[in-house]
Formats: sequence, C-alpha cells, structure tokens
Amino acid sequence: MEFLRQIKNGVFKENPTFVIMLGICPTLATTTTVKNAFFMALAATAVLICSNAIIALVRRRFPKEIRIPCFIVVIASFVTMVDLMMNAFAPEAVVKALGIFIPLIVVNCIILGRAEAYAAKNGVLNSIGDGIGIGGGFMLSLLTISTIREIIGSGSWWETPITTAFSGDKAALVKPVSVLTLAPGAFLLLGTMFAFFKWRRAKKEAKMGVEMVAAAVPWEVGPEKKKETTQGAEA
Amino acid sequence: MNLTSILLASDAMSFFKENTPAILICAVLLLVVIGGGFGAILAYAAKKFHVEQDPRVEQITAALPGANCGSCGMPGCGGYAEAIVKGEVELNLCAPGGSKVAQMVAKIMGKEVAEADKRYSVLLCKGGNKVAGKFDYAGVSDCRAAALLLLGDKVCQYGCLGLDTCERACPFNAIVMKDGLPFVIEERCTSCGACVKACPKDLFALVSEKKTVVVGCQSHDPGKVVNKICPVGCIACKACEKACPVDAIHVIDNLAVIDYEKCKNCGLCVKACPKSTIYNMRKTRKERAERAIQAEAAGDKEAAHCCVS
Amino acid sequence: MELLYIIVGLVFVNNFVLAQFLGLCPFIGVSKKSSDAFGMGLAVIFVMAMASFFTFTINEFFIRAGGQNVFYSLAGTLGHAKAQKFIHEKGLSEVLTTGVFILVIAGFVQFIELVIRKTSRGLYDALGIYLPLITTNCTVLGVTLLNMKNLQPGGDWTKMAFGEGLLWATLSGLFAGVGFSMVMMLMSGIRERLAVSKLPKAFQGAPIAFICTGMMALAFLGFTGMIGGLKANLG
Repeated sequence: MEFLRQIKNGVFKENPTFVIMLGICPTLATTTTVKNAFFMALAATAVLICSNAIIALVRRRFPKEIRIPCFIVVIASFVTMVDLMMNAFAPEAVVKALGIFIPLIVVNCIILGRAEAYAAKNGVLNSIGDGIGIGGGFMLSLLTISTIREIIGSGSWWETPITTAFSGDKAALVKPVSVLTLAPGAFLLLGTMFAFFKWRRAKKEAKMGVEMVAAAVPWEVGPEKKKETTQGAEA
Repeated sequence: MNLTSILLASDAMSFFKENTPAILICAVLLLVVIGGGFGAILAYAAKKFHVEQDPRVEQITAALPGANCGSCGMPGCGGYAEAIVKGEVELNLCAPGGSKVAQMVAKIMGKEVAEADKRYSVLLCKGGNKVAGKFDYAGVSDCRAAALLLLGDKVCQYGCLGLDTCERACPFNAIVMKDGLPFVIEERCTSCGACVKACPKDLFALVSEKKTVVVGCQSHDPGKVVNKICPVGCIACKACEKACPVDAIHVIDNLAVIDYEKCKNCGLCVKACPKSTIYNMRKTRKERAERAIQAEAAGDKEAAHCCVS
Repeated sequence: MELLYIIVGLVFVNNFVLAQFLGLCPFIGVSKKSSDAFGMGLAVIFVMAMASFFTFTINEFFIRAGGQNVFYSLAGTLGHAKAQKFIHEKGLSEVLTTGVFILVIAGFVQFIELVIRKTSRGLYDALGIYLPLITTNCTVLGVTLLNMKNLQPGGDWTKMAFGEGLLWATLSGLFAGVGFSMVMMLMSGIRERLAVSKLPKAFQGAPIAFICTGMMALAFLGFTGMIGGLKANLG
C-alpha cells in the first residue's frame, strides 16, 4: 500500500514541477515539442527509478560524510547508460534537440533531492514506488507544458499539424504564437501556471483561515452584543 | 527473436561488445585515479584547513527549528547556536521553538532553563476601515512608507494603515487582513515578534496566552478628538479605571493601559467601556479550542491541526 | 576580435539563464537580495572558470580520442593494439564525460570551500556558503559540456593547440559566469522592488519572478543580431 501511495504522492501532492519546484531547467528547455518532452521525461524517470533502487539498497553502507559524492557516482553511471541508449534508439532529431540536457540529468535537483530525501531513508520497494511516482509527476507536468507550448506555439501536437492544417479563413484565426516556443514564452507560461496552482492552494488554505476569521472576531463585540458576553468575576 | 538478441544484433551494441575490455579498464582506472586522488587531497585539506568548531554548535543547530526568523535577535539559527556555545545569550530565546526546544538546548549545554509562558501577538487597534482617510495615498504599498508621509493616510495618526506590511512580514502566515485590520491566527502564531518590528505604528504586542483582555487602541489624542475620528477609539473617560476591582487599568496620557501583572481577566472593564475599545479574547480562544476538539473527534485532521495550539 | 564575439555571444545573445535555461534553481532562489546575488555571482564566475580549466585539461589527456591520451600510451606499452586503435579513433568521451566531469567539479569545489573557510573568514561569509549550492548546478556542468561541443568534429576548437584551446575554454567559462551573474543582479534589483509592491496573493514570490524573467528574456531577444552586426561593422 505504501508503494502505491508513494506513486500517487509523487504525481499529485509532491509534483516535482508545480509543488516542490525542482528541475525547472529541463522543464523549460525540452518542452518545445511534446516529442522532446516525452523522451526527456522518460530518460529522467528511468534514471530516477534505477538510482533510487540502488541507493536504497546500499543506504546503510555509506559513511555520512561522503554520502553526496557516492550518490552522484551512482546517478552518473545510470545517466551515462541512459545517454548511450538514447543515442542508439531514440529519433535523431530528438537527441539533437535535447542536447546537453540528457547528461545534465545527473545534476537535476529532482534526482539528487529524492535520493537524499527519500531513498536514503526507505526500503527498496518504496523507493522504486517513489521513483515511479515522481517520474510520473514529472512526465505529467512536462507533457502538460509541452502540449500548451506546441499547440499554441507551433500549431501541432507530436509534430502532426493541428491548427496549421486549417485553411482559408480559419487559418487566419489560429496563427501560431511563436514566442511560446522561444525562451521568453516558456518563462511567462511557467510563471502563469505557478500562479494558478498557488491560487488553488491558497483557496484551500483560505477556506480554513476564513473560517477562523469569520467565527468570533474578538473586536467585533459591539454595544448590542455586549450583553451576551457575560464574563463574571474570575479569580 | 527476443529483445536480447535484437539488442545484441544492433550496430551500437556490437561496437561496444568488441571494445568492452578497453572501455571497462580505462573507465575503472580513470575513476579510481580521480576518486582516489580527490579523496587524498580532500582528506589532507580537511586536516590542514581544519576550522575548530565546538560539536555542540552542530547539535544545537539541529535542535533549533531552522526557520531563520531572527526573533532571537541573532543572524539565523546558526548564529544563535554559535552565540549559545560562546555563552553570551539566554537559552530560551527561540520563540518558534518554544519550551520544547529550550529544554533540548539546555540538555545539550548541560544547564537548566525556566519554562516560559506561551505568548501570542495581539493587535492594539480596532479602527481599520472604520476610520476615514485624509487623502488618496498612491505611493509604495507598504505601511512603513505610508507612515513617512504625514504620519499616514488616515485621520487617526496612531491607527492601523491597513497596507498588509504585517501580513507579509509574518514568516508563519499567521496574519490575515480583514476589514483593513490584521487578524492574528493564534494557532500559527509563534510570537517571533516579526509583526511587532514591522508595524510602523507599534500596534502589536506579545501578550501571555493567560492574559485575555486587550485595549484595542493606541491613540493619545484627547477624547473629544477621538470621538470625532474613530467610533471605537479610547476617549479616556476612565470608566474602565473605575470598574476595575484590582486596579490593573489606568488612563495614562489619554489612553487606557492594562498592567498585565495585576489583570485577572475578569472583563469588567470590557463591559464598562462605552466605545467597546477594550476586548476580551477568552471566549474566542475557548471556541477555537472546542472546534479543534470537535474536528479531531470527527477525524478532520487538517482542521484539527490548525486549531490545536 | 574573436574574443569580443565570444563575450557578446555568451553574455548577451546566448545568455545562460535567459536563452539556455541553465541555472534556474539558484537564480530564483538566491536573487531575492542584492547582497546575496552579488556573492553568488562572484562564486559562480570563479567556479565556472576553474571548472572549465580543469575539465578541459582532463578531457584532453584522459578522455579525448587521439595520440595525447594517456591511455593510448598505456595501451601501447602494454601491447594492446586493438585497444590502442580504439582510443586513438573513438576515445572515451561517450562513456566517461558525464561522470568524470561532475566528480572533478564536486571535488574541486569542496577543496576550495575548505581553503577559503580557513584562510579568509570575510570571503567565506561573502561567497563560501554558495559554493556547495553551485556544485550540483546545471550551469557549471553545462558550460563544461558546451565546451566539449566545440571539440567535436566540425567544432571551432578542433584545429587548435592544447594551450590555445585551454585558454578559450577558461574564458568561455568565465564569461558565461559573467552573463549569469549580470542577469542575477538585474533580477535581484527587480525583486527587491517587487517585495514592496501590491501583488495578487497568487503571484507573489516565484510566479512573478518567472514572469519578470520572461520579460527580461524578451528584451534579450533583441540582441540576437548583435554578432552579425558587429562582424559587419568591425570586420
């Protein structure tokens, strides 16, 4: 059960992009098209699951001081493996577009952060579940952002033209907004999405806060209410 | 044709199959050399560049909450830990940590510490939106800035300006603005004092949780003036002073002031005040505690956590 | 002249934060106060320059394909002709780059932190605390990997001697750091002003920071034609 709960936790409650706000660099750089985003998330998830598993397996054998370099060695090995596999099996255009961001998975805050926060303290199965969950959350957020960027920014999805396939009057209506595929658009979009999620969370918290505020604000005891507050003498 | 044979047959894999020994040996050699080399250098450097640090500093830093709110007056939790070990400060200055942390710190230092009362931040103004504005203020949206301009944009120069400075200053999200006045969510208040420092009109005070009566005004204007500008301000009529059975409240310089050493929370001054300036927190605190118990019984863990003090 | 084009390219046209999406986590985290941003900026410039220097050297003598590789000579003396041929032609860059670079960077930064802590308390207070933050940061590893791209077939530095290549690599690291620090100082000025502005609750903090970054990125897009213009006018 813990295993499944970790998966659900990683996707929604501790979503790496929107809740913990880690790993922003690859999020913005690789989401120009859905295809790139998918392969990036796949690579990161693979590294995350494998490194979480190994680190959870050997967590009791490392002295505390050299913990971080040991994690980095483990993660770097898996990143090299994934890098080679992507070069071999992934479409060439994708590999070129992702560029240095595949090797940069090794310093991705998500991987190192989860290794230290979770895998170093929990069992192998739960760590694998955590890896699947966080990886799934990363995939979800990457796909969401890249869908928005690709559909509005270049009028396609997974390189199949959607809005650019329109002709005549409709084509004039849905001209792609190419700033979204460039750097500034990514920042603006991400800032707006963060604001949206913050607003949702604030509404949930405010519901609790508003209840506290609405119930008996102490200074709103007016003249007519004074008769109700019978204090009486207290020793 | 299973996956393994496909993998082994592809070009990439065959290339590595041929050259594996070379790659393996070189990789292992290089990593051993680099790892060993850096290990040796760092071990040597750690000894040569060793900075003496009392191990208790680390222990105390771990015991402190780590919020770096600065209410102890030191630069962050690390700074407080260092000052404690040097023997310069009291052990119970950490307000967010409370007595629990003070006990832990005392244990590490091998000393005793007295239990301090839990305190809450209380607001000393009831005016808010009830007080009219002198002019339309269009400057920086911060009470400290507004207070610099003719003592603020309200007709009462002592009252709350309502520009959310305290709300933003609170590191624990314990202040919410309502009707132009800050409302302190006591469940989240750790009496760190950030609001006290932030308010340019000094409208916050840290009062023990056992004392529940508060004078909601800081105006030293004469009663005639206050009567005109604020419906709930103190007019220095001395009705409270006459009503108090233990002589705990006095009108000094046109303002009622409570001596909390003597106050018994009886609330007779609250009833006596004709402008409802003085208010009593007892009922609201009791209600909140009851709601917390109800929430806990109903299994609503989040609401209970918010209400439990 | 070449140096000017490189400086302009790294600092303005291909700014590491605004155009290449590297180093966003510390950028958002440390740019709240100008004094923090300044210390972090200095630390980043120093680490990036030194990291480029060391990784380029190690790459040249241990990883890169060619006759100067130490393993080439080692395989020669041990009589392994096939291994020698492999190292001469292909090199170990595919497999070893990621792991070795990150270990070198981490070790070097750790060493520098120890030295600074002992020798200069003032310098340590100013920038020492940011050094561990920079180790696992995409900017440093990113600049070293981008330097490697120039060494690949068709790159700018393939025909250079080792010394010259080393100089270019170090300067690249230095000016990439300058670009990063410059943008961070600009951002800290903006954020200090934002702190006293009245913003909707949902936008306070990270969301508005990203939106402002997006605006800055938009502004920096204006530098795109600068190198071409300089080349045309300065010859």
